[in-house]
Order: sequence, then C-alpha cells, then structure tokens
Amino acid sequence: MSKKLVSLFLAVLMVCSMAASLAEGSSVTVTDMLGREVTLTEPATRIVVMQPSDCEILCAIGCEDTIVGRGQYVDYPASIQNVPVVQSGAETNIEEILALNPQVVLMNDMSQTEEQVKQLEANGVKVAVSQASNIEGVYYSIRMIGKLMGKEDNAEAVIADMQAAFDEIRANSKNEGKSVYFEVSPLQYGLWTAGKGTFMDELAEICGLTNAFADVEGWAAISEEQVLARDPDYIVTITMYYGEGPTPVEEIISREGWGDLKAVKNGAILNAESNAISRPGPRLKDAAIELYNFIHGIKAEEVPAA
Amino acid sequence: MQDSRQLKRERFSPVTYCLLGAALFLTMVLCICVGSVRITFSDTVTAVWNAVWGLPIPENIAKNIILNVRLPRVLCVVLAGAALSICGAAMQGLLRNPLADGSTMGVSSGAALGAVIAMATGFTLPGTSYGGIMVTAMAFAFGSLVLILSLAYMLDRSLSTSSIILIGVIFTMFISSIISLVITFSSDHTRSLNFWTLGSFSGVNYSQVKLLGLALLVCGGVLYRFSPELNAFAIGEDNARHIGVNVKRVKLVILITVSVLIGVCVSISGTISFVGLVMPHIARMLVGPNHRRLLPASLFSGAIFLLLADLTARTILSPIELSIGVVTSIVGAVAFVVIFCKTRKAG
Repeated sequence: MSKKLVSLFLAVLMVCSMAASLAEGSSVTVTDMLGREVTLTEPATRIVVMQPSDCEILCAIGCEDTIVGRGQYVDYPASIQNVPVVQSGAETNIEEILALNPQVVLMNDMSQTEEQVKQLEANGVKVAVSQASNIEGVYYSIRMIGKLMGKEDNAEAVIADMQAAFDEIRANSKNEGKSVYFEVSPLQYGLWTAGKGTFMDELAEICGLTNAFADVEGWAAISEEQVLARDPDYIVTITMYYGEGPTPVEEIISREGWGDLKAVKNGAILNAESNAISRPGPRLKDAAIELYNFIHGIKAEEVPAA
Repeated sequence: MQDSRQLKRERFSPVTYCLLGAALFLTMVLCICVGSVRITFSDTVTAVWNAVWGLPIPENIAKNIILNVRLPRVLCVVLAGAALSICGAAMQGLLRNPLADGSTMGVSSGAALGAVIAMATGFTLPGTSYGGIMVTAMAFAFGSLVLILSLAYMLDRSLSTSSIILIGVIFTMFISSIISLVITFSSDHTRSLNFWTLGSFSGVNYSQVKLLGLALLVCGGVLYRFSPELNAFAIGEDNARHIGVNVKRVKLVILITVSVLIGVCVSISGTISFVGLVMPHIARMLVGPNHRRLLPASLFSGAIFLLLADLTARTILSPIELSIGVVTSIVGAVAFVVIFCKTRKAG
C-alpha cells in the first residue's frame, strides 16, 4: 500500500517535473533595456511595436507577420503600411492596444509613462522596453527581440551582417583629421546638430571622421557662428526634401557667408537618408555605407582637380 | 509762454535723445563684439568699418561671422525689441490697460497662426519670397485684435482690464493648439512649434532687417504722431471724445498700426513675450506717463533689453543656443518685480 503510494507520488513528481521542463523549454525570459525581466510562456506570435526602429528589427529577423499593431511613426518597410496603427507617445491609447490582443508590446522608455506600462501588464500584456543610444545598444535590442520571438539565429545573422559592414568600412578608412558637421535642423528653423553620444557621431568615427561638435552632448541647438568658425570638411544634412524649392544641399550652399566653408567650396555636402541614420535599427549599416561612399566619392573627384 | 515751456518739457530734449542713442549704440557694439565665437575687437571693428565705407574687407573668419551672422542678427534684434516695446506702450495707453501687450492679448499668436498657415499652404505674393507670410501674419494679427476687442466689448462694455486679458489668454491658448494642429498636418513645410511659441533670431538676413526697419519707421512714426491722442485715451475714452478726438478713427488707425508692426515682427522672429509688456512699464516708471516721452523711452529700452537677452541666449551655453523667449521671460519677470517693488517703496 505504502509502496504503491510512494510510486504514485514519484510518478506524479516525474510528470510534474517533465511538464515543468517542457514549459521551461518553450518559455523565454529576457532582460529588457530598463533591466526589467520579461518572461513569456512561449515566443511571441502577436506583437504591437511602437517605435520605427524596433519594427525594422522585427522585419529584418523575419517576424513581419507577427506584428498586429504599429505606432503612428512606424513606416518602414513599405509593406508594413497594411498593419493597423495605434497612437504612440503621450497619446498612447491603452484600449486601442488591448483590442489588438498582443502578447508583447515593444516600446521606448521616453515616450510612454510608467502608468501606461503598469496598465498594460495588469491586463496580461508584457511590455519590453528597447532604447538603444549606441550601436552596441542596437545589437542588444536585436538580440532581445530575437529571443522574444524565438529567432535568435536570425538576430545573430543580422548583427553579424552589420558588424561585418562596419568592420569593413573601418578597415578601409583612415582618420586623417577631417571633420564632419551633421545638420539635424536647417538654419530657418534654428540649427541643430548631433553631438557626442548619437548614432551620427558613432558613424563618423567608423568612417574615420571627427564630429565637428563632439563637445556637445546629444542633439543640440547650436549657433551659426560656431559652424562657420569650426569650418567642417564635410556637411551631412538630414533635412528631407519634398520636391519643391531648393534642395537641402542647395539651401546650405546659398546661405550668406557659408560659401567660404571648406565643405561648401569642395561640394562636400550630403543629404543623407534621415531615418536610416537616426533610427537605432539595422539600417544604420546602410547609413554607414552611404556616408562612406560619399566621403570616397568626394575624394575621387578631388584627385584630378589637385 | 507758459504753454510753450510746458510743451518743451513734455518732449525729450535732444540731449536726452543723444544719451539714449549712445546707450543703445554701446549695447549694440557690445553685442556685435561678444558672441559664441571669440573674435578680436580690432578684427570686428575693421570688418564693420570697411563694410560700411565699402572698403575691401580682409579675408578672415571675422568677416563671415560678423557681417553675415552677427550684424544682421543684432540689427534685427534692435528693431524687433523697439517695435514690440512701442506696440506694448501704445496698446497699454489706448486700452488704459496695464497688462495689454501683443503676447497677452493674443495678437502675437494670431500673427503666428497666420504665418504658419501661409507656410503650410505655400501662399506667396508674386515676386517676393517672404511677402505672403508677412501679409497673412499682419492680417491675422489685426483679425485677432478686432475679434478679442469685440468679444470683450460684448461681454463687458467698459472694456475692463480683466475681461480683455481673460479673453486674450483663452484666445492665445486656443490659437496655439490650432498652430500645433496645422504643424502636425504639414510638418514638412513649417517651422517647429518651438519657434512660434518661444521665438528665435537665428538665421535672419539683411532683407529682413530692411523690412523690419521700414515697418518700424512708418508704424513708429504713426504711433508717435498720435501721442497726444494716446495721452487723452490714457485718461479715458470719454475724456478723449470730449476734447475732440475722433475716437473711432484714431482707435482703428492705432490698432492697424500695432497689428502691422507685430505681424512683421512675428513673421521674422516668432512670438517673443514680455518685451512689449514689461519694457513700457519700466519706461513709465522712469519717464512718466506722457506718451511723447513714453513711446521713445519704450523704444530704446525695448531695443536694449532684447539685445541683452539675445546676447545671453547666444552665449551663455555656447556652443549651444537658447531660445530667446526663455531669456526674456525669466529676466523680464524678475526685472519687473524688482522695479515694481522699488517704485512702490519710493512712492
């Protein structure tokens, strides 16, 4: 009798542990970029993505079909346009998100409040925060999202691809002390640049350039005098062109007093794809290649002139 | 005999004008010499001197920065400060309202809305690059002024301080939400909300200086000519009527003049609060309520104040630049309280 009981007990224990190990096998736990632990019983199949960069990561690792909702600024790749839009940032609408019945919401720390996160979690929706401020951080978010989706291999492949591109550019670039000025907002709206701790700064470093405003932290409004005094070798503007009036490059050339800058004299002004260069996603690779080609294209033209 | 002496004392003597002019000139020199990039005094003076007399300018960094960036900006700031301040003084006199000003009465935000709409819709006057924006800003400034005053008149025929200001504040809030709505729907063409609500002089050029100068010359002249009428209004509208002022006509002319001037200012620099509100009060505390003295005093003090505010905005966090509205609001509020307390104690 007691033997039977013991064996039954053992059997139950075994089943329990098996079940537990089975559950362990499919459940995923990640530490998000605020250091919070996020656990899913299985890799996510329904996800709402609030930031454009996270959506680009999801699509790059082959999870586009799991996206059931996107924040209002999510616009890349073009095929994402069919996915329903939810309000993001300060106007985040919790009901709207719950109605889409996601398992996970990927969001940024800056744009959502703690209350909104708590409200979502109280309703059984997991929240993972992704907020990269440098390329290393982007790798972390790709890994984290890969794990959440059960696509670790794809995530590693995307990272390896980015790393390879950066390494190749770095290997082909020498730091010759040339400086670059990034223009985030044009003169008529007040000049803004990207200083230390931005992706543009990091890309400049990869391409062997020095950021002319490395002494400024993050994105900052700067005075026009400073740009003229620092006389950068290259200018990269991320102003979008909407097909009327002068292009951003023409506008820079036409500014009073800017004609004497080295960059303007040499025609070394690039209108970069602003989303690729400013979003913490896989397209940073494209931005780096664009910047590299621009620098070397200029060099090729300079040779016969000199 | 008695009368003519009275009249003389009403106005500033030429000596006073010279002193005010000298103070303004010195402040301008200071603002041209000091900036986020350090340039030697002699380089600065050479560049400006040679440019003024058409001499060849030595090719160096000073030429570019001083002549293309700092000088047009300083000139614009002088003119805008003078214009906003004289507008505030005129409105305070006309409405007998110590809180009247382009920014408290919603005129500036009305002008900003006009400019934003013109930019968003791409409305331009043929042959000018900037005319469309300016004209719409003026029209909206005048429209807002008329709207606010008639609303206030409907609610309270005595046009009391509190009702005008209440309507002005509500109107300003309403307009700023409309502006942000328009900007949301056409983010590609218009300046940022920050520019329209806090103001900025970055990137101004000489053609804007000329426009502003012309507007100030014409409108400032008109306002100064109406000083006696403004004096009468400051005592009371009935009083003005009794001594033979054509109340309706004068009111209309002054309101149009003020709208034009504020419209031009806003379309160039965005809305800059506090100059028009505070500087006339400071001037009044110094020179008394007679508009013959008050208007010029406001003009000079407004120009000097805005110059110093802009200097602070440009240099305090160099190479980063602050919005000028941040500085004017902080400094203006503190200066106002200090001066107010002092005159109260003295009185």
